Amino acid sequence: MIPLRVRSCFSLLRGTASPASLCRRAARFGYTGLALTDLENLYGLWSFLAACEQENIRPIIGTEIETDTAGRLVLLVRNETGYRNLCNIISRRKRKESLSVTSESAPLFEGLVLLSRSEATLKVCRELELEAAADLGNRPTERGSRLRRLAADLEIPAVPVPDSDLGEPGERSLHLLLRAIAASETLDSALRGARDEVHWLHSPEVYNNRFSVWPEVGRASDEIAERCSFGRPSAGLLMPPWQNHGRQAAGVVLRQQAYEGARQRYGGTLPVQVVDRLDYELGIIEAMGFSSYFLVVRDIVQPLQPDGTRKSRRICGRGSGAASLVAYCLNITNVCPIRYNLYFERFLNPGRSDPPDIDVDFAWDERDQVLAEVLGFFGERAAMVCNHVCFKPRGAIRETAKAFGLPGYEISRMTKRLPWFFKRSDLSLQEQISTLPALKDQDFSGPWAEIIERASGLIGLPRYLSVHPGGVVITEGPVQDYVPVEQAPKGVPIIQWEKDGAEESGLVKIDLLGNRSLGVIRDAIGNLRTNGADFSEQGWHPEDDLQTKAAVGAGRTMGCFYIESPAMRLLQKKAGSGDFEQLVIQSSIIRPAANEFVREYVRRLHGGRWEPLHPALEEVLDETFGLMVYQEDVSKVAVALAGFSHSEADGLRKVLSKKDRELRLRDYRDKFYRGCRDNDIEPSEIERIWAMMMSFDGYSFCKPHSASYARVSFQSAYLKTHFPAEFMAAVISNQGGYYSTFSYVSEAKRMGLVIDPPDVQVSELSWRGKGARIRVGLQALHGVSQETRERILSCRSKQPFRSFSDFLQRVQPAENEIQVLIDSGAMDGLDRRGNRSRLFWEAAAREVKTGPGGGGLFPAVEAGSPPLKEQAPIERLRREYRALGFLCRTHPVNLIGKGGVHTCKGVELANHVGRQVNFIGLLLSGKIVSTKTGEAMEFLTFEDATAIIETTFFPEVYRRYAHLLSAQKAYLLRGLVEEDFGALTLTVERVKLLSNTSELHSTAG
Amino acid sequence: MNHHRFILHLNVADFAVAVERVVDLSLRQKPVIVAPLQAARAAVYDMSEEAYRDGVRKGMLLNRATRICRAARVLAPRFDLYRKAMASFVNEARSYSPVLEYGAEDGHLYLDITGTHRLFGTPPDVGWRLHRQIRSKLEIDPIWSLAGSKLVSKIGSRLVKPVGEYIVANGDEQRFLAPLPLHLLPGLKGFERQRLSEFNIVRIGELAALTRMQLHGVFGRRGETLFELSRGIDDGAVRPEEAQPPRVVREHIFSNDCADRTVLKGVVTALAAQLGMELRLTRMAVRRVGLQLDYTDGATISRQASVRKGTADDDCLQRLALTALERALTRRTRVRSCRLIGDRLHPRSPQLRLFSDSTSGQKKEHLLAAMDRIRQRFGREAIRLGSQPVLP
Repeated sequence: MIPLRVRSCFSLLRGTASPASLCRRAARFGYTGLALTDLENLYGLWSFLAACEQENIRPIIGTEIETDTAGRLVLLVRNETGYRNLCNIISRRKRKESLSVTSESAPLFEGLVLLSRSEATLKVCRELELEAAADLGNRPTERGSRLRRLAADLEIPAVPVPDSDLGEPGERSLHLLLRAIAASETLDSALRGARDEVHWLHSPEVYNNRFSVWPEVGRASDEIAERCSFGRPSAGLLMPPWQNHGRQAAGVVLRQQAYEGARQRYGGTLPVQVVDRLDYELGIIEAMGFSSYFLVVRDIVQPLQPDGTRKSRRICGRGSGAASLVAYCLNITNVCPIRYNLYFERFLNPGRSDPPDIDVDFAWDERDQVLAEVLGFFGERAAMVCNHVCFKPRGAIRETAKAFGLPGYEISRMTKRLPWFFKRSDLSLQEQISTLPALKDQDFSGPWAEIIERASGLIGLPRYLSVHPGGVVITEGPVQDYVPVEQAPKGVPIIQWEKDGAEESGLVKIDLLGNRSLGVIRDAIGNLRTNGADFSEQGWHPEDDLQTKAAVGAGRTMGCFYIESPAMRLLQKKAGSGDFEQLVIQSSIIRPAANEFVREYVRRLHGGRWEPLHPALEEVLDETFGLMVYQEDVSKVAVALAGFSHSEADGLRKVLSKKDRELRLRDYRDKFYRGCRDNDIEPSEIERIWAMMMSFDGYSFCKPHSASYARVSFQSAYLKTHFPAEFMAAVISNQGGYYSTFSYVSEAKRMGLVIDPPDVQVSELSWRGKGARIRVGLQALHGVSQETRERILSCRSKQPFRSFSDFLQRVQPAENEIQVLIDSGAMDGLDRRGNRSRLFWEAAAREVKTGPGGGGLFPAVEAGSPPLKEQAPIERLRREYRALGFLCRTHPVNLIGKGGVHTCKGVELANHVGRQVNFIGLLLSGKIVSTKTGEAMEFLTFEDATAIIETTFFPEVYRRYAHLLSAQKAYLLRGLVEEDFGALTLTVERVKLLSNTSELHSTAG
Repeated sequence: MNHHRFILHLNVADFAVAVERVVDLSLRQKPVIVAPLQAARAAVYDMSEEAYRDGVRKGMLLNRATRICRAARVLAPRFDLYRKAMASFVNEARSYSPVLEYGAEDGHLYLDITGTHRLFGTPPDVGWRLHRQIRSKLEIDPIWSLAGSKLVSKIGSRLVKPVGEYIVANGDEQRFLAPLPLHLLPGLKGFERQRLSEFNIVRIGELAALTRMQLHGVFGRRGETLFELSRGIDDGAVRPEEAQPPRVVREHIFSNDCADRTVLKGVVTALAAQLGMELRLTRMAVRRVGLQLDYTDGATISRQASVRKGTADDDCLQRLALTALERALTRRTRVRSCRLIGDRLHPRSPQLRLFSDSTSGQKKEHLLAAMDRIRQRFGREAIRLGSQPVLP
């Protein structure tokens, strides 16, 4: 027999086995086919198909759906029509449409085999001539016996099915845990609820034995499997269709528009180079049939407006698309591929069969609008790609602990110290966790051991669907004819597959992503213009500006796109050049597991001698000092050394960034080794080069992408250098950079800017800069709702506030909002007496008067405010910090007593290179890395009022102090000041926790 | 006529620790934590002043507490001992006044000694004498404080904690309170404390400086309470036990907090059986059973179930208790302790029924009576239903 009803872990929070493990088990038992029937979804389709291919068994695509009258119905796909119907049925069920088998709905079930336990449904199917079979369950029962007799009467088959949620019996406790999590119950409640039997996939012998009384049923299941001959959804690219308004061929229109764009980009007469390159690119695009794809992307990026002009948007083309001159001329990308040597072949070449990939960044707050336009315009022909969100260690432990009834604070104490990612390792989760230095003082007694053990079973199981950050698919007909579509909680339609599945099925994805820095640049320039400056972006070449280059070369790039992280700033300091070309290299070379290459790059950049990896690579990697920097360098090396074809080499590059690369990499590895040996390369050399290629695990960029990003980096750096107040205000307003608002405020102060506290009379919603001052925006007030902020602005625009009570009267803020407004200093402008205590009194009196009970028969008599003392300065600061998360006029470290120790200020460290110093700093952020021997160590960033300091915690020191370290706390550090190519770091040896900044008052000295 | 009252407040700080220190002298001056041993998730029941200063708090997980205060000696709680000690403590006080109010094993006691000076001398003398008496007889050293109201005497105790005494003369309350920090004032609600700190009012005297009208203006109806509190005005009487509505209480504290419903049900059933026996022995019946669940994160949920006709029957009590449990088990968090309270008590009628109950009813009554006799003779756990767990 063939198992026709098997659920995998994609029956979310219920099934326990992955499709791969089910297929392995099925193959081991000798089944020749397997039907995967997850509950109303095809989430696991592609991993199922891949596993079937791997195990050499025949896949049957199916699902289980809930019906109104007939209980669960199993649907198996017979043919193309059936597949389309299945996608439609699932999509309808996901829209909560009810479904039952009737004469009206009959066409929807064509091409499918229905398995049912409902006698009525089987009869209806027979009448409507739909293919159906009786579902006998996984052991003979009285009900099964009745169904079998009925099936015989109706002349339809009756089949046994595993009806299983588990792969093997041992997964029962995992299944119960999942049910407890799904129902938000404790484990023992789930136990009580799970009285119904849970089944797993048995061997064919077990089913044959059980059903030996009804010998014909096993054969019947084989016959049904035989009829379900549909192997996989159609291959071939499904390109987004272009609306041809002018009845002209897409190729012609594209050529016309590309030339038009080129004339705008390069001026009236086009250089020969440009014309040649355009012709070359257009030829390939046309030949490969991608002309309409370019036009669709163009229509999305710059949609036609009713007046016939195109809407201009601030964008940044990313990915390999930036290598296309056509894209540049269509304003889909912003870097000239000719000037920066970007090869078109990286993007498209006739040897490749996979779809082109044009990804575009929009300002983060405009992106949703773009998406809404696309989804609105294409309607049911567009949907977003989803992400399958799986349990990770942190969430798995958290959910398990909840099911064990532990209180939230205990769980947080444990999980907040867990790293976000674990290295793949042979150790069990329990062993990994108990050796984490950051959890040194954590108590693992009691139920924790069991919790962690059980949680490890959850890791990797899919939990829910989320929306991919920007992937959109657009199809010729309704998307739900190709793939089931459902509604994400945020309201957009999503397909049931991740990007890899979408790609496998031939759906071409366009990435429309949000980018904070585009918003920063937009707002900084907008702020400049409202300040009356005349700033034009026409002919703006920040990469040629000397001051900007100097700032980049000195690492003064906090707040600048992509080059603000500590590692990046240190690298720029070491490189010292500030060149655009070098920045393109640096943006890509910075990646985990590439530390030694970074060091080597700096050495070679400063004139260090180097030999090419291999004589054959001399030309290939010359531009990057013989180092592999970009994604495509992997392909280049594979071609040059191991004789790969271009498309094979490209395949290798792609596999490197996949999640499950190990298996697929094996073949490439063998081929690479073989090819190199054929070219007489030493085995040890091959080993070394291969290891270098393996350090590209999804983090490196291709050169066009890197160049495209470097341009945005330079734009930000330019603004920061020339218009610091406007730029920093925009950085903070757009939020979400690498650092916290607190850190950006400190940076602004270090740049010599004055931070003016929020003020309801003058503050805008966002932060604003002018000259050497920044005014805090109302958005910085924690706990004041967006509505209240907007009400403040709208009331003020009608008439400035006359007094505090006028403000309360017109804005009507909530009680907790008043507190924040007063504590932050936003009310000081309305406080003539300079006494915040009295403002509080006034607000409270007003609240009582207007609050519930206040408007009674006898309204409270208003009594004058008593003489209240103004808050002590330290108390004011404490409250300001609580309301804003930073201090406008001073740095918290200045308020901390030194306890008699001689300490060094951040700016003075440069005078102490090679010596031990004490330094008091506030911890901003950290990055844990693993040493060569697998020990954990951390690079941490601290700051005081004068500088931001990068520190190194080597493994032993890290082990000793990791549990003490958490952001926004102040520490006394003792360590050695070191210098490397002009970049300073502090190698820490001793750490003392000084205080929590939220308790400023207690340590003020 | 003299309206002055004299209220004595006695407080044995960290009662359980104080009792343990009586039993074992070597514990004095050392940090002590009282918590169930041999339980992975034990919570701190009580701790000494030394441990408190290190950051140990009641209800904190023992594992965490011993990390914070590594020097601490950890003792298993001995509730019977504390109950006995509390009874002796109360008895000593009882000889000075019949009007006394106290809680369960918490070492707090109010004594109204108004008008006893002819019998025992001046009120401060009573304080000194009672203190001396308790110290010599029970070897514990309570704080005591004398004032004209429960409120002021309690503040006095708070002020001198952990040892000492304080006497506030009648009429001297305001002067006494004025310089004290606000946090010593009992009865303020969280938002009131917050508001006062916003007004930068940090001492009781600053609060007392506000007029009634001003307080009404910013605190509404609660203004009156604040007005009286800040001036030490408290007319609350010492409420002796007899004046409180009668009730029967049984409690179980889990040494490892519990998330298992089956165990919880068993415990509640056992508590109901204890309640039933107590009721039958005193020939009382209850019309309502309440259950208070203390969750491990500090939340408390109380739910009740009631019947029209009073009962002392185990089955009926268990049904009520389990109904209350169903109603109270609304969260997914572990339970630290549960308390079963029988109230709306009335005496069982000795009158026999005219039309007797069914024979099975009679049989059951006989069975319960027999079980009660066995328990009285051989201990509470000598006989029980198979489904009931053994409770300590």
